[in-house]
Amino acid sequence: MKILMTASQINGLPVVTARGGDDVAEVRDVIYDPGVGRLVGLTLNKRGFLSGRRKEVLPAEAIHAIGRDAVMIVDEESLIRPKDAPEEVGRPATDRNVLGNDVLTESGVNLGVVEDLALLVGGVGEVVGYEIGKPGGGRGYIPLPAQLAVSGAALVVPDATEDFIRDDLTGLGAAVDDFRARLGLQ
Amino acid sequence: MNDSFRQSSSRRVVSRASAADVGRLGHLLVDAEQRRITAVVVGKGRKARLVDWDEIIGFGPDAVIISDDAAARPPADDHEGAAAHGEFELVGRRVLTDRGTEVGVVDDVTFDPGTGSVLALLVGEREVPAGALLGSGSYAVVINAVAED
Repeated sequence: MKILMTASQINGLPVVTARGGDDVAEVRDVIYDPGVGRLVGLTLNKRGFLSGRRKEVLPAEAIHAIGRDAVMIVDEESLIRPKDAPEEVGRPATDRNVLGNDVLTESGVNLGVVEDLALLVGGVGEVVGYEIGKPGGGRGYIPLPAQLAVSGAALVVPDATEDFIRDDLTGLGAAVDDFRARLGLQ
Repeated sequence: MNDSFRQSSSRRVVSRASAADVGRLGHLLVDAEQRRITAVVVGKGRKARLVDWDEIIGFGPDAVIISDDAAARPPADDHEGAAAHGEFELVGRRVLTDRGTEVGVVDDVTFDPGTGSVLALLVGEREVPAGALLGSGSYAVVINAVAED
Protein backbone atom coordinates (compact mmCIF):
# COMPACT_ATOMS: atom_id res chain seq x y z
CA MET A 1 0.00 0.00 0.00
CA LYS A 2 1.51 3.31 -1.11
CA ILE A 3 0.36 6.45 0.64
CA LEU A 4 1.59 10.02 0.83
CA MET A 5 2.65 11.57 4.11
CA THR A 6 4.26 14.86 5.00
CA ALA A 7 7.56 14.91 6.88
CA SER A 8 5.79 16.38 9.90
CA GLN A 9 3.43 13.39 9.94
CA ILE A 10 6.44 11.07 9.93
CA ASN A 11 8.11 12.93 12.79
CA GLY A 12 7.11 11.26 16.04
CA LEU A 13 6.33 7.86 14.52
CA PRO A 14 7.70 4.93 16.52
CA VAL A 15 10.65 3.04 15.05
CA VAL A 16 9.79 -0.63 15.48
CA THR A 17 11.88 -3.78 14.90
CA ALA A 18 10.13 -6.26 12.62
CA ARG A 19 11.80 -9.23 14.27
CA GLY A 20 11.38 -8.10 17.86
CA GLY A 21 8.21 -5.98 17.82
CA ASP A 22 9.98 -3.45 20.04
CA ASP A 23 9.76 0.32 19.72
CA VAL A 24 13.43 1.25 19.95
CA ALA A 25 13.20 4.94 19.01
CA GLU A 26 10.97 7.52 17.44
CA VAL A 27 11.48 9.79 14.45
CA ARG A 28 12.90 13.19 15.31
CA ASP A 29 13.25 14.51 11.78
CA VAL A 30 13.75 13.40 8.20
CA ILE A 31 17.11 14.00 6.52
CA TYR A 32 16.44 14.95 2.94
CA ASP A 33 18.79 15.58 0.05
CA PRO A 34 16.95 17.93 -2.32
CA GLY A 35 19.63 17.48 -4.97
CA VAL A 36 18.61 13.87 -5.51
CA GLY A 37 14.99 14.28 -4.33
CA ARG A 38 15.34 11.53 -1.82
CA LEU A 39 15.04 10.84 1.87
CA VAL A 40 18.53 9.81 2.99
CA GLY A 41 17.83 9.00 6.61
CA LEU A 42 16.10 9.81 9.86
CA THR A 43 17.29 11.42 13.07
CA LEU A 44 15.87 9.90 16.23
CA ASN A 45 14.54 10.59 19.67
CA LYS A 46 14.30 8.15 22.52
CA ARG A 47 10.86 6.69 23.05
CA GLY A 48 8.55 8.26 25.54
CA PHE A 49 7.46 11.71 26.53
CA LEU A 50 10.27 14.29 26.81
CA SER A 51 12.92 11.63 26.77
CA GLY A 52 15.41 13.42 24.54
CA ARG A 53 17.50 12.83 21.51
CA ARG A 54 19.11 9.57 20.51
CA LYS A 55 22.58 10.06 19.10
CA GLU A 56 22.24 7.32 16.49
CA VAL A 57 20.78 7.91 13.04
CA LEU A 58 18.87 5.62 10.72
CA PRO A 59 20.18 5.64 7.12
CA ALA A 60 17.50 5.18 4.44
CA GLU A 61 19.15 1.93 3.30
CA ALA A 62 18.45 0.40 6.72
CA ILE A 63 14.75 1.32 6.68
CA HIS A 64 12.58 -1.70 6.01
CA ALA A 65 9.47 0.44 5.47
CA ILE A 66 7.92 3.75 6.39
CA GLY A 67 4.22 3.31 7.04
CA ARG A 68 1.27 5.30 8.26
CA ASP A 69 1.74 4.13 11.85
CA ALA A 70 5.39 3.17 12.22
CA VAL A 71 8.84 3.09 10.69
CA MET A 72 9.93 -0.54 10.46
CA ILE A 73 13.53 -1.70 10.76
CA VAL A 74 14.90 -5.22 10.89
CA ASP A 75 16.59 -4.87 14.26
CA GLU A 76 18.30 -2.31 16.48
CA GLU A 77 21.62 -2.84 14.63
CA SER A 78 20.11 -0.63 11.92
CA LEU A 79 20.60 2.41 14.16
CA ILE A 80 24.17 3.60 13.74
CA ARG A 81 26.38 6.39 15.07
CA PRO A 82 26.61 9.44 12.79
CA LYS A 83 30.34 8.91 12.30
CA ASP A 84 29.67 5.43 10.94
CA ALA A 85 26.90 6.68 8.65
CA PRO A 86 27.24 7.91 5.06
CA GLU A 87 28.30 11.57 4.85
CA GLU A 88 24.88 12.88 3.80
CA VAL A 89 23.20 11.14 6.76
CA GLY A 90 25.81 11.63 9.48
CA ARG A 91 26.67 15.23 8.59
CA PRO A 92 23.96 16.62 6.31
CA ALA A 93 24.77 19.94 4.62
CA THR A 94 23.03 22.71 6.51
CA ASP A 95 22.70 24.99 3.46
CA ARG A 96 20.52 22.48 1.64
CA ASN A 97 17.45 22.91 3.77
CA VAL A 98 14.47 23.60 1.51
CA LEU A 99 12.00 24.58 4.23
CA GLY A 100 11.29 28.29 3.94
CA ASN A 101 12.64 28.47 0.39
CA ASP A 102 10.73 30.32 -2.32
CA VAL A 103 9.47 28.12 -5.13
CA LEU A 104 10.07 29.88 -8.45
CA THR A 105 9.08 28.61 -11.86
CA GLU A 106 11.53 28.85 -14.77
CA SER A 107 9.43 31.77 -16.06
CA GLY A 108 9.92 33.55 -12.77
CA VAL A 109 6.55 33.08 -11.09
CA ASN A 110 6.63 32.67 -7.31
CA LEU A 111 4.38 29.72 -6.38
CA GLY A 112 4.91 30.02 -2.63
CA VAL A 113 7.18 28.99 0.22
CA VAL A 114 8.12 25.39 1.05
CA GLU A 115 6.54 24.41 4.37
CA ASP A 116 6.82 20.63 4.36
CA LEU A 117 7.92 17.63 2.33
CA ALA A 118 5.48 15.12 0.82
CA LEU A 119 6.80 11.57 0.78
CA LEU A 120 5.54 8.44 -0.88
CA VAL A 121 5.63 5.91 1.94
CA GLY A 122 4.99 2.19 2.17
CA GLY A 123 8.50 1.55 0.88
CA VAL A 124 11.61 3.52 1.74
CA GLY A 125 10.05 6.95 1.35
CA GLU A 126 10.62 8.89 -1.84
CA VAL A 127 10.13 12.66 -1.66
CA VAL A 128 7.65 13.40 -4.45
CA GLY A 129 6.45 16.88 -3.62
CA TYR A 130 6.36 19.88 -1.34
CA GLU A 131 3.66 21.44 0.73
CA ILE A 132 3.76 25.16 0.02
CA GLY A 133 2.26 28.25 1.59
CA LYS A 134 0.81 30.16 -1.34
CA PRO A 135 1.64 33.86 -1.76
CA GLY A 136 -2.05 34.78 -1.42
CA GLY A 137 -2.42 32.58 1.67
CA GLY A 138 -3.61 29.00 1.88
CA ARG A 139 -1.81 25.77 1.35
CA GLY A 140 -1.01 23.74 -1.71
CA TYR A 141 0.98 20.72 -2.79
CA ILE A 142 3.32 20.63 -5.76
CA PRO A 143 4.86 17.57 -7.39
CA LEU A 144 8.60 17.41 -7.94
CA PRO A 145 10.71 16.19 -10.78
CA ALA A 146 13.27 13.65 -9.58
CA GLN A 147 16.02 16.28 -9.38
CA LEU A 148 16.07 19.95 -8.69
CA ALA A 149 18.45 22.88 -8.26
CA VAL A 150 18.36 24.13 -4.68
CA SER A 151 20.29 27.07 -3.28
CA GLY A 152 19.11 27.25 0.31
CA ALA A 153 17.07 30.37 -0.50
CA ALA A 154 15.03 29.36 -3.54
CA LEU A 155 14.36 26.46 -5.80
CA VAL A 156 13.52 26.63 -9.47
CA VAL A 157 10.87 24.27 -10.80
CA PRO A 158 9.57 23.62 -14.34
CA ASP A 159 6.77 25.89 -15.55
CA ALA A 160 4.48 22.87 -15.79
CA THR A 161 4.46 22.70 -11.99
CA GLU A 162 1.93 25.50 -11.87
CA ASP A 163 -0.68 23.28 -13.57
CA PHE A 164 -0.21 20.57 -10.99
CA ILE A 165 -0.69 22.46 -7.72
CA ARG A 166 -3.17 20.46 -5.63
CA ASP A 167 -5.12 21.22 -2.48
CA ASP A 168 -4.39 18.03 -0.59
CA LEU A 169 -2.05 15.03 -0.41
CA THR A 170 -4.52 12.75 -2.15
CA GLY A 171 -4.67 15.10 -5.10
CA LEU A 172 -0.89 15.32 -5.13
CA GLY A 173 -0.65 11.52 -5.24
CA ALA A 174 -2.61 11.46 -8.49
CA ALA A 175 -0.73 14.47 -9.90
CA VAL A 176 2.82 13.15 -9.44
CA ASP A 177 2.72 10.55 -12.21
CA ASP A 178 0.93 12.89 -14.65
CA PHE A 179 3.41 15.64 -13.88
CA ARG A 180 6.43 13.44 -14.44
CA ALA A 181 4.86 12.07 -17.63
CA ARG A 182 4.43 15.64 -18.87
CA LEU A 183 8.10 16.32 -18.23
CA GLY A 184 9.02 13.12 -20.04
CA LEU A 185 10.54 11.62 -16.92
CA GLN A 186 8.57 8.40 -17.01
CA MET B 1 -10.04 -29.74 18.26
CA ASN B 2 -8.30 -26.39 18.34
CA ASP B 3 -8.13 -24.30 21.46
CA SER B 4 -7.68 -20.57 21.93
CA PHE B 5 -6.06 -18.22 24.43
CA ARG B 6 -9.39 -16.76 25.46
CA GLN B 7 -11.16 -20.10 25.75
CA SER B 8 -8.40 -21.56 27.90
CA SER B 9 -8.07 -18.54 30.19
CA SER B 10 -8.77 -19.41 33.86
CA ARG B 11 -8.89 -23.14 33.12
CA ARG B 12 -7.88 -25.21 36.16
CA VAL B 13 -4.35 -26.56 36.27
CA VAL B 14 -3.97 -29.89 38.05
CA SER B 15 -0.88 -31.87 39.06
CA ARG B 16 -0.93 -35.49 37.87
CA ALA B 17 1.31 -36.59 40.74
CA SER B 18 -0.87 -35.19 43.53
CA ALA B 19 -4.19 -34.64 41.71
CA ALA B 20 -4.21 -31.28 43.48
CA ASP B 21 -5.23 -28.01 41.85
CA VAL B 22 -2.11 -25.94 41.22
CA GLY B 23 -3.97 -22.82 40.18
CA ARG B 24 -5.76 -21.21 37.27
CA LEU B 25 -4.32 -20.74 33.81
CA GLY B 26 -3.20 -17.19 33.08
CA HIS B 27 -1.77 -16.23 29.73
CA LEU B 28 0.35 -18.29 27.38
CA LEU B 29 3.90 -17.43 26.32
CA VAL B 30 4.76 -17.72 22.66
CA ASP B 31 8.04 -17.95 20.80
CA ALA B 32 7.17 -15.81 17.78
CA GLU B 33 9.99 -17.23 15.69
CA GLN B 34 8.99 -20.84 16.28
CA ARG B 35 5.27 -19.99 16.36
CA ARG B 36 4.64 -22.19 19.33
CA ILE B 37 3.73 -21.92 23.00
CA THR B 38 6.83 -22.31 25.14
CA ALA B 39 5.27 -21.99 28.60
CA VAL B 40 2.04 -21.16 30.37
CA VAL B 41 1.55 -18.83 33.32
CA VAL B 42 -0.36 -20.14 36.33
CA GLY B 43 -1.76 -17.63 38.79
CA LYS B 44 -1.31 -13.90 38.82
CA GLY B 45 0.88 -11.14 40.17
CA ARG B 46 3.72 -12.04 42.51
CA LYS B 47 2.40 -15.57 42.86
CA ALA B 48 2.55 -16.15 39.11
CA ARG B 49 4.48 -19.27 38.19
CA LEU B 50 5.54 -20.76 34.89
CA VAL B 51 5.01 -24.23 33.53
CA ASP B 52 7.18 -25.16 30.53
CA TRP B 53 5.19 -26.67 27.68
CA ASP B 54 7.18 -29.93 27.99
CA GLU B 55 5.83 -30.38 31.53
CA ILE B 56 2.24 -30.38 30.30
CA ILE B 57 0.81 -33.88 30.12
CA GLY B 58 -2.55 -32.94 28.72
CA PHE B 59 -3.99 -29.63 27.60
CA GLY B 60 -7.66 -30.59 27.82
CA PRO B 61 -10.93 -28.71 27.41
CA ASP B 62 -11.65 -28.78 31.16
CA ALA B 63 -8.23 -28.92 32.77
CA VAL B 64 -4.56 -28.64 32.05
CA ILE B 65 -2.69 -31.57 33.58
CA ILE B 66 0.95 -30.99 34.50
CA SER B 67 3.46 -33.64 35.61
CA ASP B 68 3.78 -32.64 39.27
CA ASP B 69 3.47 -29.65 41.58
CA ALA B 70 7.14 -28.76 41.11
CA ALA B 71 6.56 -28.23 37.38
CA ALA B 72 5.00 -24.89 38.31
CA ARG B 73 8.18 -22.94 38.96
CA PRO B 74 8.97 -19.31 39.77
CA PRO B 75 10.33 -17.15 36.91
CA ALA B 76 14.03 -17.94 36.38
CA ASP B 77 15.15 -14.43 35.37
CA ASP B 78 13.97 -10.87 34.75
CA HIS B 79 12.79 -11.71 31.26
CA GLU B 80 10.64 -14.57 32.54
CA GLY B 81 9.47 -12.38 35.39
CA ALA B 82 8.31 -9.74 32.93
CA ALA B 83 6.68 -12.46 30.85
CA ALA B 84 4.87 -13.84 33.90
CA HIS B 85 3.53 -10.35 34.56
CA GLY B 86 2.06 -10.21 31.10
CA GLU B 87 4.49 -7.83 29.41
CA PHE B 88 4.59 -9.97 26.28
CA GLU B 89 0.96 -11.06 26.39
CA LEU B 90 -0.24 -11.41 22.81
CA VAL B 91 -3.94 -10.85 23.40
CA GLY B 92 -4.65 -7.11 23.44
CA ARG B 93 -1.36 -6.20 21.76
CA ARG B 94 -1.36 -3.91 18.72
CA VAL B 95 -0.67 -5.48 15.35
CA LEU B 96 1.62 -3.80 12.80
CA THR B 97 2.43 -5.02 9.32
CA ASP B 98 6.09 -4.98 8.34
CA ARG B 99 5.09 -2.07 6.04
CA GLY B 100 4.36 0.01 9.13
CA THR B 101 0.56 -0.03 9.04
CA GLU B 102 -1.44 -0.74 12.16
CA VAL B 103 -4.26 -3.21 11.51
CA GLY B 104 -5.79 -3.60 14.97
CA VAL B 105 -5.14 -5.54 18.16
CA VAL B 106 -4.90 -9.26 18.79
CA ASP B 107 -8.31 -10.42 20.02
CA ASP B 108 -7.44 -14.07 20.36
CA VAL B 109 -4.88 -16.69 19.34
CA THR B 110 -5.77 -20.22 18.25
CA PHE B 111 -3.40 -23.13 18.82
CA ASP B 112 -3.15 -26.90 18.66
CA PRO B 113 -3.40 -28.11 22.27
CA GLY B 114 -1.59 -31.32 21.35
CA THR B 115 1.60 -29.67 20.12
CA GLY B 116 1.42 -26.07 21.34
CA SER B 117 1.74 -24.82 17.76
CA VAL B 118 0.16 -21.43 17.19
CA LEU B 119 -2.33 -21.61 14.31
CA ALA B 120 -3.62 -18.10 13.82
CA LEU B 121 -4.04 -14.65 15.32
CA LEU B 122 -7.55 -13.25 15.34
CA VAL B 123 -7.38 -9.53 14.65
CA GLY B 124 -10.86 -8.03 14.50
CA GLU B 125 -12.69 -9.80 11.70
CA ARG B 126 -9.60 -11.26 10.11
CA GLU B 127 -7.67 -14.40 10.81
CA VAL B 128 -3.92 -14.00 10.33
CA PRO B 129 -2.21 -17.37 9.81
CA ALA B 130 0.68 -18.06 12.19
CA GLY B 131 3.02 -18.26 9.20
CA ALA B 132 2.67 -14.49 8.78
CA LEU B 133 3.94 -13.81 12.31
CA LEU B 134 7.34 -12.09 12.12
CA GLY B 135 7.93 -10.96 15.69
CA SER B 136 6.36 -9.96 18.94
CA GLY B 137 7.63 -7.56 21.56
CA SER B 138 7.00 -4.72 23.93
CA TYR B 139 5.33 -2.50 21.34
CA ALA B 140 3.61 -4.67 18.80
CA VAL B 141 3.08 -7.98 17.09
CA VAL B 142 4.54 -7.67 13.59
CA ILE B 143 2.98 -9.58 10.72
CA ASN B 144 3.94 -9.98 7.09
CA ALA B 145 2.13 -7.37 4.98
CA VAL B 146 1.72 -9.83 2.10
CA ALA B 147 -0.63 -11.89 4.23
CA GLU B 148 -2.45 -8.68 5.04
CA ASP B 149 -2.92 -7.44 1.46
